[in-house]
Amino acid sequence: MSEPAENSTLGRRHRVRLAVAGWHLTLGTLCALTAFPLLWAVLTSLKPANEVFTTTPLSAHPTLDNYADVLTRWPAGELIGRTAVMATGVAVGQLVIAVLAAFALAYFRPGARPLVLGLTTVSLAIPPQALIVPQFLLTARLGWLDTEAGLIVPQLGSSALAVLVLLQHVEALPPSLIAAARLEGARPAELLWHVVLPGLRPAVAALGVLVFITTWNEYLWPLLVTPDALHTTVQVGLAQFETAEGINYGGLLAAATLTSLPIVLVYLAASRRITDAFLTSGLR
Amino acid sequence: MTALLPSASRPSDRTPAPPHVELAGVTRTFGTTLALAGVDLAVPAGSLTVIVGPSGCGKSTILRMIAGLDAPDSGTLRIAGDDVTARAAGERDVAMVFQDYALFPHMTVEGNISFGLRLQARHHRRSGPGRDEIRARVGEVCALLGLDNLLHRRPAQLSGGQRQRVALARAIVRRPALLLLDEPLSALDPQLRASARAEIRRLHRELGTTLVLVTHDQHEALSMATHLIVMDQGTVAQSGNPGELYRHPCNELVATFLGTPRMNLHDRDGVRIGWRPADGRSATHRDGVPPGAFLVDGVVESCEFTGDGQHARCAGPDGTFVLVQREGESWLEPGDTARVTVPAARLHRFGPDGRRLP
Repeated sequence: MSEPAENSTLGRRHRVRLAVAGWHLTLGTLCALTAFPLLWAVLTSLKPANEVFTTTPLSAHPTLDNYADVLTRWPAGELIGRTAVMATGVAVGQLVIAVLAAFALAYFRPGARPLVLGLTTVSLAIPPQALIVPQFLLTARLGWLDTEAGLIVPQLGSSALAVLVLLQHVEALPPSLIAAARLEGARPAELLWHVVLPGLRPAVAALGVLVFITTWNEYLWPLLVTPDALHTTVQVGLAQFETAEGINYGGLLAAATLTSLPIVLVYLAASRRITDAFLTSGLR
Repeated sequence: MTALLPSASRPSDRTPAPPHVELAGVTRTFGTTLALAGVDLAVPAGSLTVIVGPSGCGKSTILRMIAGLDAPDSGTLRIAGDDVTARAAGERDVAMVFQDYALFPHMTVEGNISFGLRLQARHHRRSGPGRDEIRARVGEVCALLGLDNLLHRRPAQLSGGQRQRVALARAIVRRPALLLLDEPLSALDPQLRASARAEIRRLHRELGTTLVLVTHDQHEALSMATHLIVMDQGTVAQSGNPGELYRHPCNELVATFLGTPRMNLHDRDGVRIGWRPADGRSATHRDGVPPGAFLVDGVVESCEFTGDGQHARCAGPDGTFVLVQREGESWLEPGDTARVTVPAARLHRFGPDGRRLP
């Protein structure tokens, strides 16, 4: 091999390495920016009350008192349970609606399809706060205040994103797969269950996690429906640490850390399944 | 042996049974393009019918219509004598092998093959197949197609040829009266294609099912069909016995579409004269021209060695032509003058509109 060629490959290799380094630097910075507040919150939750406002990241006297306090005086179990029920209900509900709607729109191609798609897209642009008063009144008249139904059902109205995403995925399935199932005698419901749904698994899993986490973090609606701070969701319950004498930061951050754990677990469990599903898909 | 060329001795031609599939005046437009412009065709019962034509001629649309995946704009479609134009796919006793095989990726080979039977069992609790029967029938087709060792694999773990056989197995396990194959060999590499052709012909013989196969490959069409339909621009150009179509093409398109190298055409006295490259005899100037024979002169431009002979591409006052020389005949080199005689019986004559002249 001649010298100049050798040099140019080396040059290219250098450039590639530089690009990779730059990329990693950017990602690393972003990770640090994202992780820093979380880390600070966790570290602060381990500080005794008189050290909360110090700027040293690590406490001189680390303590679990805040956690003990939260677990004994704050209904953590009940709040987490209720939030989990709400988030699961909303995630499952939205996915059921979205799968059925996406399949129906893609497979039957109803005449109202453009209208339905238009309204669905428009509904994404409406801020939820704009609808909150009528929605609250309706929920109250139904007698659903302070109930699971009141927490879950109104939040199913924001399924638009899930519908649109799944519609894309249904339409991306190979048409021959659908045709083959029809020729084998599959009825629409069987087609959905045996052929379409397995093909949507990665998308459904990803959406499920997304909706679950978004709902878990929901604040305004649970605050309106379940205002009793002891029988509500964690996000509303956290407001309890704001008292007349000021904010109990140690307790607040300990509680926030504790209540984030379920989300982390859900994500860890699901991300594995999402990757698996991506790997096992593929037609030919 | 009289069966060297497909001839009237094939059972499908001997028994004048009513056609299994019949299309009458079928039209279909996609947007502004006319895909089918009034198609009339018949698929003889028990035949291996091949629909062939250049891409865009409407052959795949016809197959999808027979299956019920597409509906004609006008015209009727009959299967086994019944008008099924409005009947849904899946209610026509038709199975299909798709070009991409369309295997369900999340099911095992066994799951794929038994899918239709399991649906039948669920739909018809009493008359449908039981669990033991399903297992027996899946085992039967797997033995027929050599898939016994692959039952628990998923499609992603199979080779192209294996996937094709799974798709075939899934199609025949329900014992459909009519089997449709959409370009079943196009995704296979050339070595596999020959064996897959033989496999499909064997299945056709052993099952006795009417089989309709769509292809754009005229060689595949000629070698497999018991009944051949050539399509062009949304209509049937000619249909019948493959040997008949090859020897007596009804127009220029069929004449040049079937056979490789394609038929040579020359204009003489307002008539197009056609001859197949293998029918020409290279003659020296001293030889007399037999009475009635066609004579054409040219200079060899290039030669292709084909193992058992050569294809000589020539140019002359009557245009270019290709001559097939077999082993043992005089070998041609580029630059040689070629004088070719074609016996009168081997000539094809076409009018200005492309139709065959008597």
